[in-house]
Amino acid sequence: MITITHFLVVGAWLFSIGLYAVLARRNAILVLVGIELMINAAILNLVAFGRYDSSLYGGQAFALFAIVLAAAAVAVALAIILNVYKHHKTVNPEDISDLKD
Amino acid sequence: MNTHLLTLLIFTPLAAAALMSLVPSRGKGLHKYIALATGILQLVLSGAMYYLYRPTEAEHGIADEQLYQFASHVPWIRLDMGSLGRLEIDYAVGVDGLSLPLLFLSALVMVIAVGASWKVAKSVKGYFILLMILNMAVMGVFSALDFFLFYVFYELMLLPLYFLIGIWGGARREYAAIKFFLYTLFGSVFMLLVIVGLYFSVTNPATGAHTFNMLLMMDPANHVPGSVFSALAGQELFGIPARLLAFIVLFIAFAIKVPIVPLHTWLPDAHVEAPTPISIILAGILLKIGGYGILRICFGIFPDAALQSAWWLGLIGVVSIIYGALVALAQRDLKRMIAYSSVSHMGFVLLGAASFTTEGMAGAVFQMISHGFLSAALFFLVGMLYDRVHDRNIYHFRGLASVMPRFTVFVAIAFFASLGLPGFSAFIGEAFVIIGAFISGSTNGILPEWMAIAGSIGILLSAAYFLWTLQRMFFGLPRLKGGDAWAAALRADASARETLIMVPLIGLALLLGVYPALALDHINTSVLALVEWVNKVR
Amino acid sequence: MPVPTLTYPLLATLAAVLMPFLAFLLTAATGKKARNGAVSIAAISISLLAAAYVFAHVWGKDPIHVQWHWFSIGRQAFHVGLLVNNASALMLLLVCLVALPVHVYSTAYMKGDPGIHRYWAYLSLFCFAMLGLAVAGNLLLMYICWELVGFASYLLIGFWFTRDAAIQANKKAFIINRIGDLGFLLGIAILYSGFGTLDIQVLFGTDTPAVSGTGNLTPGWFTAAGLAFFLGAMAKSAQFPLHVWLPDAMEGPTSVSSLIHAATMVAAGVFLLARVFPLFDGTVLFVIAVTGTVTAFAAACFALTQYDIKKILAFSTISQLGFMMAGIGFGMYHVALFHLTTHAFFKCLLFLCAGAVIHEMQHVKQKLGHDFDPQDIRNMGGLRKHMPITCATMSIAALALVGFPLTGGYLSKDALLVHGFEWAATQHGMALAVPCALAVASMLTGFYSFRLLAKVFFAQPAAGPLTGSHATLHDAPLPMRIPMLFLAACSLFPLFTFHPLNDGHVWLLRGLAPDATLPPLRLLHFAIPILATIASVIIATVTWRWYVLGKYPLKPQGALYRLSLHQGYLDALYMRAIIPPLMRLSAVLFWLDRHVVDGFVNGLAAGGRALASAAAWADYRVVDGLVRMTGKLALGLGNALRRSQTGRVQHYLALAFFLMVVMLLYFIFARA
Repeated sequence: MITITHFLVVGAWLFSIGLYAVLARRNAILVLVGIELMINAAILNLVAFGRYDSSLYGGQAFALFAIVLAAAAVAVALAIILNVYKHHKTVNPEDISDLKD
Repeated sequence: MNTHLLTLLIFTPLAAAALMSLVPSRGKGLHKYIALATGILQLVLSGAMYYLYRPTEAEHGIADEQLYQFASHVPWIRLDMGSLGRLEIDYAVGVDGLSLPLLFLSALVMVIAVGASWKVAKSVKGYFILLMILNMAVMGVFSALDFFLFYVFYELMLLPLYFLIGIWGGARREYAAIKFFLYTLFGSVFMLLVIVGLYFSVTNPATGAHTFNMLLMMDPANHVPGSVFSALAGQELFGIPARLLAFIVLFIAFAIKVPIVPLHTWLPDAHVEAPTPISIILAGILLKIGGYGILRICFGIFPDAALQSAWWLGLIGVVSIIYGALVALAQRDLKRMIAYSSVSHMGFVLLGAASFTTEGMAGAVFQMISHGFLSAALFFLVGMLYDRVHDRNIYHFRGLASVMPRFTVFVAIAFFASLGLPGFSAFIGEAFVIIGAFISGSTNGILPEWMAIAGSIGILLSAAYFLWTLQRMFFGLPRLKGGDAWAAALRADASARETLIMVPLIGLALLLGVYPALALDHINTSVLALVEWVNKVR
Repeated sequence: MPVPTLTYPLLATLAAVLMPFLAFLLTAATGKKARNGAVSIAAISISLLAAAYVFAHVWGKDPIHVQWHWFSIGRQAFHVGLLVNNASALMLLLVCLVALPVHVYSTAYMKGDPGIHRYWAYLSLFCFAMLGLAVAGNLLLMYICWELVGFASYLLIGFWFTRDAAIQANKKAFIINRIGDLGFLLGIAILYSGFGTLDIQVLFGTDTPAVSGTGNLTPGWFTAAGLAFFLGAMAKSAQFPLHVWLPDAMEGPTSVSSLIHAATMVAAGVFLLARVFPLFDGTVLFVIAVTGTVTAFAAACFALTQYDIKKILAFSTISQLGFMMAGIGFGMYHVALFHLTTHAFFKCLLFLCAGAVIHEMQHVKQKLGHDFDPQDIRNMGGLRKHMPITCATMSIAALALVGFPLTGGYLSKDALLVHGFEWAATQHGMALAVPCALAVASMLTGFYSFRLLAKVFFAQPAAGPLTGSHATLHDAPLPMRIPMLFLAACSLFPLFTFHPLNDGHVWLLRGLAPDATLPPLRLLHFAIPILATIASVIIATVTWRWYVLGKYPLKPQGALYRLSLHQGYLDALYMRAIIPPLMRLSAVLFWLDRHVVDGFVNGLAAGGRALASAAAWADYRVVDGLVRMTGKLALGLGNALRRSQTGRVQHYLALAFFLMVVMLLYFIFARA
């Protein structure tokens, strides 16, 4: 039987992969992908926990909401990346240190 | 009697200083003529006051306002201090037989000092302005009857003197100036504490407020019962009777000025380093402020403590006399020798004052006046020599009598006058100090007879060092260290200006020696009042 | 006190005193042009006339006693006053009588000296002070004149101020006299404290406090006062051991020595003691008698071997002053004053004669160009033939000094000796030594006087400058000769009594005699004069044999001889035992002053400065250091933290993650 634990493990696994991608990849697109993975891990957890709310289906509703948000965020993020690329001619986050004081 | 005469006398130099500050530095010696005119005006003023002064017997001792003439009394500072009452500081001035001769002396010495400054070349304007400020402060000190006012003038004196020594002095002028300044300041800061203490211990019976008026401070009736310096309360500070402590503090402040051994070491340095006119002022006036302060303030306000310490004062006087004379005997620098002789001669002032007899005290005041003239003359003579060859070492001269006969006559007269030759004022002063100290033993039992005898040894020693100098420097065949160059420089005997300065000094010393009543008639009433005042508390 | 009415005797007294003072002022004002001394001579002549008038008016009659208010101290009035009684009238006349010849003598003796204008001024000043001293009516005024005569003496001893010896001598004279002055001053102080007045008449007149013992002085203080006055007299009258200034004072011109250091000023001490005589009690009188005797004897011994003609006379003066002092000590002040008077004449004459001799010797010296001491008697001899008048007058003076019959000295000295023995009879046994010593001193006087005469006038000239130059020697000029002759006349007996051999008839003694005299011993009045005369004759013979005939038996190398020649080494003692320690003391005190007293002050200042620099250090390092450390800390921390700001998104995220984990761990474990 698939218990909630299995879902959570998969979620955690997904999150970890996402986290790795976010922290380690040298390509902003892949970082964005990592973010998406982490969001999806969170969504998975929402859906998994959603079974404890059988009256309002809050988990599912939230998951849908999050998916939409994630899509929007990806759109914005890709636009930012595009602009960054235009500006820096690179999408490697290592090479961009404008946040430094 | 004109009440503004005294104020005029005090503040004329200030006006002169203001006037001088308007004259540009290039003013072609105008400054010294202004200074001279001021000095002569003051001399005339003080002479007129001396002439107009009518000695009156005081009924209530030294605190009697009758004794003080030409008095003027104007409220100066009135400040409401809340719970501490109203601050009352007055411009109160007046003169009596103690201060009037000293005022006249100061005016004369100031004229002499201006005359001696004739050749000053370094920033003349500043020099004479400072001299005028000093002049005003000195006049103020001798006239002030308000202790606060006295203190203001007393401190005001220091400032111009510091600069006059420190800028126009000799090689070690900075050392001497600072030493002089600190010594005097050391005495006067503690004086301020006593002044404040006295202020809170005394009320003015007319207004009920605390007061700085010296005459009111003298009268025990005005003391606040139980206050720290009340004559009746007998308060103690640090285990010492408060009044005695206050007396000692004030005495030390003034004794530094006198000066007494061992608080005298500022004097040789200051005298040696100071330019001639400042030496003249130091010896002629400044030292007298010490003696005057002791008589007027220490004895006037704290007669009880003065009587308690009289034996010690006499001892200090005797020690100063003999010590000063012996050290003078060892000097090679003529100016330093005269400086130490001042220590010795001022010791007589203390000895006479400590006897609390009319003879001794009048002798002390007389000695102050006499020493004022004579020390001014002596320092001026040293300056004459120094101006010519820039050397004062006794061993570098010999046989000056053949080179500078007129100068030698002046020196011989000044020396013999200083060593107490009858016919000159110092004799009257010293003889009556000795007599006063001697009869003290049998009349009031304050000083033992041996002090008078020991003091008289000082007269012997003074003959020794003056005659030795005279013999060593002036007699014999001429032999000068600087050879012909010196001889040529010295060949210019006393000039007309120098003669003009010396003659009145020596003349007054002679006049007072032959007819001492000229000064004693004025001194007597005040001295009598003071002696009776002190003896009343016995 | 009302202003005294001016009577003629009073005016005359004032004139006598003030004339020389006027002369002094005039001469001093004239300066270098006052060369002939006419002013001074005129003044002293007027003084003499006035003094004679005063003397005639006062002697044996009521004294003049007046005073004017001078000044007051407190309520105590001080006066200038005159008291002219017999003693002071005598002194007044005597001073003028001696001073006038000396003035006249000086015109020739000091002729051509470049500083002669000063000489006349000083001489007049001296006469003024001395005459003032004689008539001063109160002790303060007397003290003033007393110091002024000392001052004038200082000026005159150092008259040739380029001579080293002269200026050493005048310094010494003044300082030693100062010692005496202190005694005088203390005496004044004691009397003033006891009686509240300094008027001599009030103090020492008849039935006065000092005599009757009223006033608040204890007997001890009475004795002290007497000793104090005696100390004053000792210095002025050159009593042992304060006599050392007088031989040195011979550095002055000889005319000065004759007037001041022989006849008048040095006698002032005797006069002072006579004036305050009622003050003395037995102790003081005994001290005076003994001191006088010691002086008389010691100085006579010192005189024996001196070679300087003036030094011999100086010691002789000291010795004679000792006789006078002893007379005071015997209580016979009238005899002392009598001897003072006779001594003034003959000693002044001796000096004038010596001056005449020296004057001639100097001429010889100038003419020959030899370098020799014109005052050394070894260079003289045989002058009798060339200077007969000088020889005669000096012989008269010397005989008077020795006390030969027919002279004034005979009368006074024998009277002194007689009274000495009479006094000794009233004292304890040992007191007999006093008159005996005086008698011996008197014989020694004979010896040195005859030695002087013999060597200068009678002996063959030694192999010195005088051989072969006799033609240039002659007697003194007239202005010098007349005073000498005049004084020679005064040295003889007729001035004092017409009975040449008996002092009982001397008018001077009668006029001054005190109320209480010693019980007379008749035999002595005969024996002593006779014995003394015989002794002098013998001594004269011996000296004639020794010095004139050249049969000198003694060797000049004996210890006693040297002791006498060097004046008992007293000077050397003072120069070694008193002056250097004093100078060392003063040097030590100066050192102490510089290093200890001033060192303390400077140490205080250095301490203050050290404290100040310590405070400055602390201020910079500690207080300010704290402030600066805070700033540095903030800066360092900022720098350190700044490292974390790489500007790379991933770093930030990693950090955020890391912190998240830490927080989670914290929450997990802290809950647990």
